[in-house]
Amino acid sequence: MGRKIIDIPLGSQHISLLEPIKFRFACENEKIVDVSSDVGFVHRGIEKACTTKFAYDAVPYVVARICGLCAITHSLAYTTAAESLLEGVVTRRAKYLRMLLVELDRIHSHMLCLSHTAENAGFEAMFMRIMGDRESVMDIQERITGNRVQFDYVSIGGVNRDITTDIEKEIRKTLAFIREKTHGYLEEFTTNWSLSLKFKGVGVLTLDEAYRYNAIGPLARAAGLATDVRSETDYLPYNEIGYEMRVGEGGDIYSRNIVRLFEILNSITMCENILGGLPEGEIQTKMKGKPTGEALVRLEAPRGELMYYIRGEGKAMLSRVRIKTPTFASIPAFIEVFKGSEYADAPAILASFDPCMSCTAK
Amino acid sequence: MWYSVKKAFTNLLSPPQTIDYPATPIKRVERYRGLIEYGEEHCIYCLKCEKACPPGAILFTHTDTPTENPKNKKSLAYDYNPHLCIYCGECVRACPKPNEALWQSEKKPGIGVKEDRVNERWFEVEGRKGS
Ligand code: SF4
Ligand code: SF4
Repeated sequence: MGRKIIDIPLGSQHISLLEPIKFRFACENEKIVDVSSDVGFVHRGIEKACTTKFAYDAVPYVVARICGLCAITHSLAYTTAAESLLEGVVTRRAKYLRMLLVELDRIHSHMLCLSHTAENAGFEAMFMRIMGDRESVMDIQERITGNRVQFDYVSIGGVNRDITTDIEKEIRKTLAFIREKTHGYLEEFTTNWSLSLKFKGVGVLTLDEAYRYNAIGPLARAAGLATDVRSETDYLPYNEIGYEMRVGEGGDIYSRNIVRLFEILNSITMCENILGGLPEGEIQTKMKGKPTGEALVRLEAPRGELMYYIRGEGKAMLSRVRIKTPTFASIPAFIEVFKGSEYADAPAILASFDPCMSCTAK
Repeated sequence: MWYSVKKAFTNLLSPPQTIDYPATPIKRVERYRGLIEYGEEHCIYCLKCEKACPPGAILFTHTDTPTENPKNKKSLAYDYNPHLCIYCGECVRACPKPNEALWQSEKKPGIGVKEDRVNERWFEVEGRKGS
């Protein structure tokens, strides 16, 4: 008998998916031999709206709505690009507050991913626990910005709100709580058989593949590829607040979980250092003029490199806004990981990538 | 593994993460970003708030029954759509008289029901603006 290949779709609607994405797996028995993907199910025309409906100073609020998880990173990448066109200088205090929010975003985004990984291993209770603990991070973000999800915190020239000593105390308390919890998760993700044995050697991306298919973010770092925009750019003074890159080995789901857990711990340390060394000063600088020229900004979102390209011609409306999101850039690497895996592992592998389709389809 | 087993048992005895709503009310944080409020008597009709608003939730349109405010030379009337507003506070930051003419409260908007003609009323305001 010859080889028989069967096509099995996963998505666009599927019980294990959080957001619509479609993969078509060509399977030989249980093995996936080929994959095709489709990602544009939640397209909202945001890039177009940014150049036709909204003036450049309203765009930070528009791009923040691309994604609920990394809203801060989106508006921050855009404002950094716009500020470089307006040749404005943001105060150090504003930069520190921006970093604080970006790192808090990373903490809760990674927690969400870990909880879904646990859920896909059949460990529903762990999912509930992480999601419950994650709520405390959302609470302090709400305390700082005035809203739980749509923060609208970053605007051109700085940030919209300052923190008070009361809020600072609360943040420190929450960070200590999350640190303790994260050590607990680390223990469970390494010793619990559902989360360690099950995930070791599953969904492997080798270092060579990570290079070749341009993997980014925790996906690349788990494969041993030392890439992180935080260490490669200097819009934000990450070197002052104790940033450390964590590179994993093995490139499997287990390694991605561990990298994320250590990144949470590092982000907690960074947040504490930010609070400890918060410079005095204003939080807003007035910026005049209209954006003229081109700017390209890269920032490390929770899922990897986020890139914004904007072009202005001295008018209130920009002539181009181009957004390259981390999930979109990682799709070739995703496909490579799927090839050779078991079909039954596909949902768990997908969850470990932490894909964000709202970002990708924007 | 033992850690997980221990956790599973302590988890059984720990209180739930959720609150007993509506018996326990949802706690509102301080400095919650709520509705924008307007004090007409202090407004100087510079229209900066209208210009700053990203979604266009503040509109000044022509009216036949203008207010007494001497600054209102062009007979304008203020309109605000709490269901369009994203509570970003840009209008308050743009306003030359914040806290007097325009400020951000901690109130929540009501639920937009059909009887209030939320959409239709706003489309009329936008229509007046456009014409
Ligand atoms: S808070 Fe923002 S969206 Fe609401 S009226 Fe003011 S500027 Fe407009
Ligand atoms: S910005 Fe302030 S003063 Fe100017 S029109 Fe608006 S409310 Fe009135």
